[in-house]
Amino acid sequence: MVRYPAFFPLILLVLSIAINLFLQPNMFDRETLNSNMRVFLPLILLTVGQAIVLLGGGIDISVGGVVSIVNTILATRVGLDGSPERMWQFVMISLLVGALAGAINGFFIAYLRLQPIITTYATSFLYAGLALFILPNPGGGIPADIANLYRTSTPLGLPLAFYVIAILLMVWIYISSTRYGKYLFAVGGKATAAYETAVPVTWIQLSIYIISGFMAALAGIAITMLSGSGNAEIGGQMTLNSITAVVIGGNAFSGGIGGVTGPVMGAVTLSLLQNIISFAHINTWWETLAKAMIIVLALAVPGIINLVRRRRA
Amino acid sequence: MTKSLSARNIVKHYGGVIALSDGNLDVRTGEVVALIGANGSGKSTMSKVINGVVVLDGGQLLLDDKPVNLSSPQAAKNMGIATVFQELSLIPQMTVAENIWLTREPMTAFGTVNRNALQEKTEQLLSLFRGTYKTELRPDDTVGSLPPDEKQLIEILKAISFNPWMIILDEATASLDSRQVQRLFELIKEWKKAEKAIVFISHRMEEIFRIADKYSVLRNGKTVGAGDMKDINNKELVKLMIEKESVFSFSRADSKNENKDKPVCMEVRNLQTDSLHGVSFCIHEGELVGIGGLRGQGQRDLLLSLFGDIPYTGEMSIFESNRKLRHPREAMKQGLALIPGDRAREGLLYIRSILENLQLPSWAQYGFPLRIGKARKDAEAVGASLNLKMAGLAEPVSSLSGGNAQKVVLGKWLMRKPRLLLLDDPTKGVDVGTKAEFYALLTRLCSEGKTILFYSSDDEELVGLCDRVLVIHDGLIRTELSGASLTKENLIAASLGASNEGAV
Repeated sequence: MVRYPAFFPLILLVLSIAINLFLQPNMFDRETLNSNMRVFLPLILLTVGQAIVLLGGGIDISVGGVVSIVNTILATRVGLDGSPERMWQFVMISLLVGALAGAINGFFIAYLRLQPIITTYATSFLYAGLALFILPNPGGGIPADIANLYRTSTPLGLPLAFYVIAILLMVWIYISSTRYGKYLFAVGGKATAAYETAVPVTWIQLSIYIISGFMAALAGIAITMLSGSGNAEIGGQMTLNSITAVVIGGNAFSGGIGGVTGPVMGAVTLSLLQNIISFAHINTWWETLAKAMIIVLALAVPGIINLVRRRRA
Repeated sequence: MTKSLSARNIVKHYGGVIALSDGNLDVRTGEVVALIGANGSGKSTMSKVINGVVVLDGGQLLLDDKPVNLSSPQAAKNMGIATVFQELSLIPQMTVAENIWLTREPMTAFGTVNRNALQEKTEQLLSLFRGTYKTELRPDDTVGSLPPDEKQLIEILKAISFNPWMIILDEATASLDSRQVQRLFELIKEWKKAEKAIVFISHRMEEIFRIADKYSVLRNGKTVGAGDMKDINNKELVKLMIEKESVFSFSRADSKNENKDKPVCMEVRNLQTDSLHGVSFCIHEGELVGIGGLRGQGQRDLLLSLFGDIPYTGEMSIFESNRKLRHPREAMKQGLALIPGDRAREGLLYIRSILENLQLPSWAQYGFPLRIGKARKDAEAVGASLNLKMAGLAEPVSSLSGGNAQKVVLGKWLMRKPRLLLLDDPTKGVDVGTKAEFYALLTRLCSEGKTILFYSSDDEELVGLCDRVLVIHDGLIRTELSGASLTKENLIAASLGASNEGAV
């Protein structure tokens, strides 16, 4: 595997932490840290799935729709006065729904050989529409004590999100050294060569979308527990953020290069930017512009460094 | 134990194009069968049928005289058939070790890849070609960063890594230098003794006569001849391959002329790049100058820097005016043209039409608004003068055979009427018939007053065609051969950096 510039997302992360710390001095207090991390976690989960898809040479634009579906299912089927058993039952169903949505994408892309970007663009409307069908107006919810489990758990004084991230990274380190991991890089690197080497290309392509759908469902569960209520448009803007996070994280858009650690850092950086903008008291109408400029800059820097290097040569 | 694989009356279509109409092949353990044919005759398709990459439309494959169905590369591998692909089956982002053992990685008890075992097994394989690598080749080098010849060697090692009984070498020697070919042939002889069967596909006649026991000739998708190598000679083989009686000959010794009194076309002093360490030479107008030497000694860098494509230091004068070319655009303005070696990647837009490809560098000539009709007529004229074998100018370049695609690359530059042509191994993977046409064309261009600087990995080509040959070794011009000193022996000796014989 090409050594990818993991140090660059790390620099960005450190930089954004420093600025954030300057604007919010109590950032590392247990309460503040936890309230930040629980907001960041849904995007981190989504980004991990997206990173796997990009590594395998695809892209998944439908993840936001899956988040919305899961959110509306939980908010309408469990309800504010639902029992914990009912909640966990529907968490399981949500995960299945996510995997199924991913499998539909994967089937079109791997077996019918359609373009990933077109296919998932189309299904993103399908999933977003389904979410609106389940819950036309914002409302519903899950029991407050279950939501609080997510919001306030800090085992050993550390936010729950840290443990989730640690587990994700460990699973990734394991997977990337298994045969499946090698296949993933091979298919993303050059699918025809992988096929000629008898790598099960179709199956790998199907699997990355199932993983992505599953991770999107996890993100949907997390965001539902965070908000405690249902809104069919909750996942809409998360898709592009997940792709941006992966690219900031140093993965190649064309596949085969990168990992999951960088994208996780990218997701945290992106979320911190949101914080910084709100702490800097930037007017809401400048917010999108400011955020976009920072993102464009972050994406351009590696290219600019290369350009300067070439000029020197 | 003797094993055999036979292909009988194989038919394969790609859409409307018939790649094979009656392909036959018999391979037995302990022998090397040369699969010979002009470009587009169906050799690659034949090898893809035997290794399961394409599904056949008709005919039968027999393994030990029993019908088999090779429906996928996996099926072929399970039967012990390995292929060294012409367009390499390596994944550029992965390491040498990961590429060689992909799908067959040594595992630990935890289901992870055993890195140490992987490293060790790869070292063992790499040692087979030790001494012929130009880089310090290590198992954890990324394949994408290796030179083409080393990629090819990795591809070969990958094929033999799972100990197949049959190995298909599809143009495997095309990008190797003579030492590497020599080592490969030693290995092939060992494999023969170890009761393996080898299918050898190559355009280089000399190699075929050196290594093959049997031959099988394809022409336009049909097997037109097969037998023992010892019963046939070079001329007869070539005759089988090309329909026309015109037996090629690329010696133009009679027309080689003295150009020293002609005006200077290009002079280069102390040219330096990453791989060139101070190259100086001078070319006169109308000269056909060759660049020789082993692969990867800086020849490609030389051509690219002359075309302003890569940064360099040193002085250069073109048509007696000092210039520093910083961009291919400037080079084109000076009347230079570069015909790149990797036509698929650098020379052509494969999915676009022949017409568009021919016209691409020349649109500036046709004013505003564009004189489409004139451009089309010019393209048609160039197409006709190149004798392109095609269904029509509107067909995509991808429908052409390698040799004809290379003609389009040349043609697109001829549209601009260049004065100096830089050629980077243009006949690599081109069949003999088209090669002969190519040589005639180059000779004609020179006699029309154009100047040509020509790098080739084919020594015979350089000796037969060029007025002079500059031999590059390790980033320097070590020897210049011309006139009587321009012989194959001298060229090979100079390529190896051994002697300074015939130096000016």
